Amino acid sequence: MSIVDLTSMGEPQSELRKEINQRLSKLKDEISDYCFQCAKCTSGCEAHKLLELEPHKILALLKRGLIDEMVNSDVIWTCMSCFKCRERCPQKVAPVEVLFALKNLAVASGKQIPGKYTANLQSVLSIGAIQDIQEVTTRDNKTKRRSDLSLPNLSKPSDLAKFQAGLMKIAMEKI
Amino acid sequence: MKKKYALYPGCVMPTEQYAYEISIRESLPVLGVELVDVEGFSCCGEPLKSVNQLMTLYLSARNLAIAEKNKLDVFAPCAMCHLSLSECKRLLDTNPEMKDRINNLLSAEELNYEGSTNIVNTVDLLHDHIGLETIKQHVKKPLKGLKFATHYGCHLIRPSEIGRPDNSENPQKMEEILKALGAETADYYPEKLDCCGGILQINLPESALTKTGQKLKAIQEYGFNGLVDVCPWCHRMYDARQVKAGETVAAKLEVPVFYLTQLLGLALGINKEKLGLDLNLSPVDKINFGEA
Repeated sequence: MSIVDLTSMGEPQSELRKEINQRLSKLKDEISDYCFQCAKCTSGCEAHKLLELEPHKILALLKRGLIDEMVNSDVIWTCMSCFKCRERCPQKVAPVEVLFALKNLAVASGKQIPGKYTANLQSVLSIGAIQDIQEVTTRDNKTKRRSDLSLPNLSKPSDLAKFQAGLMKIAMEKI
Repeated sequence: MKKKYALYPGCVMPTEQYAYEISIRESLPVLGVELVDVEGFSCCGEPLKSVNQLMTLYLSARNLAIAEKNKLDVFAPCAMCHLSLSECKRLLDTNPEMKDRINNLLSAEELNYEGSTNIVNTVDLLHDHIGLETIKQHVKKPLKGLKFATHYGCHLIRPSEIGRPDNSENPQKMEEILKALGAETADYYPEKLDCCGGILQINLPESALTKTGQKLKAIQEYGFNGLVDVCPWCHRMYDARQVKAGETVAAKLEVPVFYLTQLLGLALGINKEKLGLDLNLSPVDKINFGEA
């Protein structure tokens, strides 16, 4: 089973979706009523001016149960996870957490994952880190590797097979 | 008293942002910190939070369990790692059901999370655990006549509910550390809390660069001698991608960008070759630190 099957989906991940849906309905029941649409979250949102994310509207849509619509929208992927909305909300509602749950649901529903998320996931599964050791260039254009800089070996999962099995269990929803 | 930590490297620092790791390994031992390299660490999971939050939690718990097995506290120099590990600790320490579930999974790697490990970042390690007085006593070459802007990184100061190394709306510890090193700072500038855009590099790289460029442009206009940061994701944006970031905001950016630990090392009298300064891609040569 490759990562493509796990994320872009041969089979729907029904258990995982159930779990995320539970998380979302818990958020809906527990927090969406507290939101009184003051839009303080949106006024400080790092993605608002640039990418038109409006966290208070995400909450309004959640309250109305328009979850599928949001899961299908690109706008949930514009959040920079700066956590200002969670920090500043006078009602302790955390739009950023709703956005994480919506993105998780999009992934579990087999939607196209944007950008390098799939590559990052694949890399963590195969080597334990989001990227392997890179060659870098100095200001005067010399190439350096980690090994050139007298740094110790990179810490990695000792038993890669066991490490992968653990992650697969989560990705395969057998938790 | 010797302070001993497992150095939790994360992903970005040990695979690309070598200057941070080099300057940490050179400068912190001078201040009595022993860094231990531990086998078996993996990604903290934070970059995968948008994909699967349970995986993030599992990966963080796994790394904490490894530190615990070695009976060590964790030093996480990356702001993202520090948040992920701290959030995991808070969740598992308050939710026994989730702790059991995660431990059940961890048992496959013969690991177990109990919750005995503390987590520090560069900022609280220097400011709270080593202390400004100790730092001042070790300064050999004060950074005189230089005024720096600071960038903490969103993940380092929010959400405060979890317990973060500094205040979410008015962080001052980096300023205090820089002052202890003999440099000048501004307590505040309007863009101080702005995000670097680093996370968007994953899926909206152009927008990410715009965020980076906007902040750097402001810092340049205010006339700071440089920008100081403590997160490899932020530094990658401000330092390595500065020229591209400038293009997105129609500005020629020439802001020297340093890791706090590089400036610390310079002030402690460590040779600049040993602090990875040749790896900074921003024009750090604009500042003359003298021969050493």
